[in-house]
Amino acid sequence: MNRLTSSTKSLVGLAMALVVLFVGFSLNLPQFATLRNVETLARQSTIVSIAALGMTFIIVAGGIDLSIGSIVAFVTVVIAALLQAGVDPVLAAGLGVLAGAACGALNGGMISGFKVGPFIVTLGSLLVIRGIAKGLAHEQKIDAPASWLSELVAVLPPDRKWMLLPPGVWVLIALAILSSLVLWRTVFGRHVFAIGSNERAAHYCGLPVSRVKFGVYVLGGFFAGIAGLMQFSRLTVGDPTVAVGLELDVIAAVVIGGASLSGGHGSIMGSILGAFIMTTIRAGCSQMGLPNWVQEIVTGVIIVLSVGLDRLRAAREA
Amino acid sequence: MKARAISILTAALLIAALGCGSKDSGNASGTNGSEPAPSGKSEYKIAVIPKGSTHEFWKAVKAGAESAGKELGVEVIWKGPMKEDDRESQIKVVEDFTTQQVSGIVLAPLDDTALRPPVENAVRSNIPVVIIDSDLKGGDTVSFVATDNFKGGQMAGEELARLLGGKGRVVMLRYQEGSASTNFREEGFLDAIKKHPEIEVVSANQYAGATTESAQKAAENLLAPLKKDDGSLGVDGIFTPNESSTFGMLRVLQDSQWAGKVKFVGFDASQKLVDGLKAGELQGLILQNPEKMGYLGVKTMVEHLKGTKVEKRIDTGAVLVTQENMEQPDVAKLLAPPKE
Repeated sequence: MNRLTSSTKSLVGLAMALVVLFVGFSLNLPQFATLRNVETLARQSTIVSIAALGMTFIIVAGGIDLSIGSIVAFVTVVIAALLQAGVDPVLAAGLGVLAGAACGALNGGMISGFKVGPFIVTLGSLLVIRGIAKGLAHEQKIDAPASWLSELVAVLPPDRKWMLLPPGVWVLIALAILSSLVLWRTVFGRHVFAIGSNERAAHYCGLPVSRVKFGVYVLGGFFAGIAGLMQFSRLTVGDPTVAVGLELDVIAAVVIGGASLSGGHGSIMGSILGAFIMTTIRAGCSQMGLPNWVQEIVTGVIIVLSVGLDRLRAAREA
Repeated sequence: MKARAISILTAALLIAALGCGSKDSGNASGTNGSEPAPSGKSEYKIAVIPKGSTHEFWKAVKAGAESAGKELGVEVIWKGPMKEDDRESQIKVVEDFTTQQVSGIVLAPLDDTALRPPVENAVRSNIPVVIIDSDLKGGDTVSFVATDNFKGGQMAGEELARLLGGKGRVVMLRYQEGSASTNFREEGFLDAIKKHPEIEVVSANQYAGATTESAQKAAENLLAPLKKDDGSLGVDGIFTPNESSTFGMLRVLQDSQWAGKVKFVGFDASQKLVDGLKAGELQGLILQNPEKMGYLGVKTMVEHLKGTKVEKRIDTGAVLVTQENMEQPDVAKLLAPPKE
């Protein structure tokens, strides 16, 4: 219970930080506090947020996945290739997400089966999966015939304004609620926290450590697959070179959201707030016309500050 | 936990403060840099979005865009994608400028399909878009300002025909399947050669591929069967449609001691190609004019905003560079080698 209340406090802090950022930019930019800009921010946050759902499970369990960006690119290529071959959009999207989950299973199998550290395994699969994506696409982008998939995270046309937010954002909200329930209300979720807090103790208590670890990487791949579907929707083409370094944005979002890289801490809501904070900084700086290098420094400072605080907190609690 | 929340808040406040500060300084530098008008605020704010920011090519486009801004008294905002050559990053830049409600967007799309939705969205929000450098498939844009690659290819063909005195055997090594700009150059070249009945095209169906490495292999395979018994080359003229294919071909000619013995016209420039031109291993290079592209992109946008009717397609021209004219100041500027 204590875990819940302290994390609630931290979430309130994050939400306040997001509000302050938003108000700060709005004071400088008249168009920032408009519905249309909020929609833009939500659309731009969707990919990182969805990938962050899976990454939260992985980091809470004390792991890491560096291959997320490569999986996203791979999935856009798979979906585009299937569409080009005349496969139905629903099936193409489903198979794309499955391909993502399969990548996750590969990572999970190596990590739990061969007992190799997740950093090394996913550093390897980052290259392998990126390579497969490029090979599959013959080192070019793949044009796909137009389908409704490309409307998932597009700006809502006037006749569908009643949806308030693009379908992809609603998918994110639904997945976030589901993930939160799994993390906090199921045995699997409790095992994830237990293993992240102290893997050895969890093992001695008879928890199925290998199976749970395998599970979190499959989840990570699955969510990366959905993020890949959203990325395809934004690009409308399969692009084997997209999302290079996306995993770092995702990890940053999860860490800003209160997760500890040493495992045992973290929340779904926090990770999503983290993703939105990063998008808000990026979009705000960009709309104010700040050069890219300033933007990069600002984002970097925010990440280091919040991770530094994470250390402080850990030291105090120990 | 509380400490964390407070510190993030502090950081956020800091950023907000930084934001206020740099916004003012941004305005100030804008006044100094691009607005001669004493009134300070310019009428139009035009965003120019390149494919990347580190290549020499884009630096020249930027120089052109800024000089147009100064000349016409409009504010030019230059902003490339956060990640070089990344489609997703460029989409975000277009979206941010759309939200910001700039007067117009001048865009060099990284992809002819992927950039269409954000451009359509900008146009729907009453922000006109001028496309530069590479075309966009569809989309209701104001104008397409770029090199007429077909014409560039024709120039290469004419020059090669002139060098050969109107007769001989030539080969063309194509660049890559599905690359629109180079395809136009290749077709332009063949079109010009067709007018010279005594010139025979020995091969025009081989592709160099994306890299210098692949171009070199393709050039070797292309030339090997054309080698005569005495070791000399059985063709008189060669054309290649871009930097990597030209360089790959040049390397093969150099390795086989054929360089200088065959007339060779290429496209685009790099330090190595300029050296080849100086050494007489290349007889001509066709160059684009990126500075003019940036200049005309902004100028076309301003004319459109002021209600003047503009051409749907504007050619920024190509220049033939030879050993004779490479020292002329205007040509030398186009050849200016990338600093390595």
